[in-house]
Amino acid sequence: MNEHSKLLTKTLGFVFPFILVFGVYMISNGHISPGGGFQGGAVMASVFICKYLIDPMKDVSLYRVQWVEKLALLFIILLALGFVATGLNAYFTFFLPYYLIIMNILIGLKVACGMTIIFYRFVYYESR
Amino acid sequence: MLELTLILLVILSIAALQTRSLRNAVIYLGVFSLAISFVYLLYHAPDVAIAEAVIGSTIATILYLVALQKYKIFTIYYRLQESEIEDTHYFSRYKLQLVKSLEKFCTKQELEAQIIYSLEELDEILTKHQYALIIEEHEEFISIYAHHENYMLDKLEFFLDNEPAFIRPYRIVKMEEIEGEVME
Repeated sequence: MNEHSKLLTKTLGFVFPFILVFGVYMISNGHISPGGGFQGGAVMASVFICKYLIDPMKDVSLYRVQWVEKLALLFIILLALGFVATGLNAYFTFFLPYYLIIMNILIGLKVACGMTIIFYRFVYYESR
Repeated sequence: MLELTLILLVILSIAALQTRSLRNAVIYLGVFSLAISFVYLLYHAPDVAIAEAVIGSTIATILYLVALQKYKIFTIYYRLQESEIEDTHYFSRYKLQLVKSLEKFCTKQELEAQIIYSLEELDEILTKHQYALIIEEHEEFISIYAHHENYMLDKLEFFLDNEPAFIRPYRIVKMEEIEGEVME
């Protein structure tokens, strides 16, 4: 995989932004069409894998990614507790689709961060 | 359409089990994931199909391939005579040069060289240990023993012929011939 194939580099470099846009679309339309936070997050994580295939350089700060993931988890718990567990969803019914969108975005962020961490951790650190 | 895909799934899984090289098995599993995500789509579960296609055939395949890449260790046994070990100058210039050349070859092939200096007899190493190459030094040439199915051998020969720093004559012995000698 360390042999740089020119064909692979060019093709992946071209496809790269489309995968990202597709992931964002999947997350933001998750509540009305197939897809959702988890799937969209996984698609966005594959962008980082493409980046590794194009240019295996370690310039992603795993510490920062981990921090973002933890923050996303905190917000997921807080939002669910604050909106559903308190019974506010019965009064603010107009807010329900927005709640789903926000939840999907947070879950997508968390899944993308988590898969990126798994992949980079595995590729750069884990050896014998 | 559904039946065809299910038959394809069975064929792919048998192929993944029966293939000899692990790399092929990983690729078969990736195609299997893609086919099974199509089956999920036919069963009206597009969400599961997307998740299976993304995770099963992209991320898992690449992780497996990276793992295969990482765990390639090329074991080289260097057979020494007892007098060579007692002598403090047993690392002659030629030996260092040979070891250096071999390490260069391994990094070029993305293998990890593990060089073991051994006092054991050749037959002992052949039967007891997992080896890729065994090197034995004679007075005027070097013998390189290898298993006859070792697919790196042609590349190694090409590399040694084109390596300017490596000037000593050598001969490559494939293991099957050795077994013949022992049998006689």
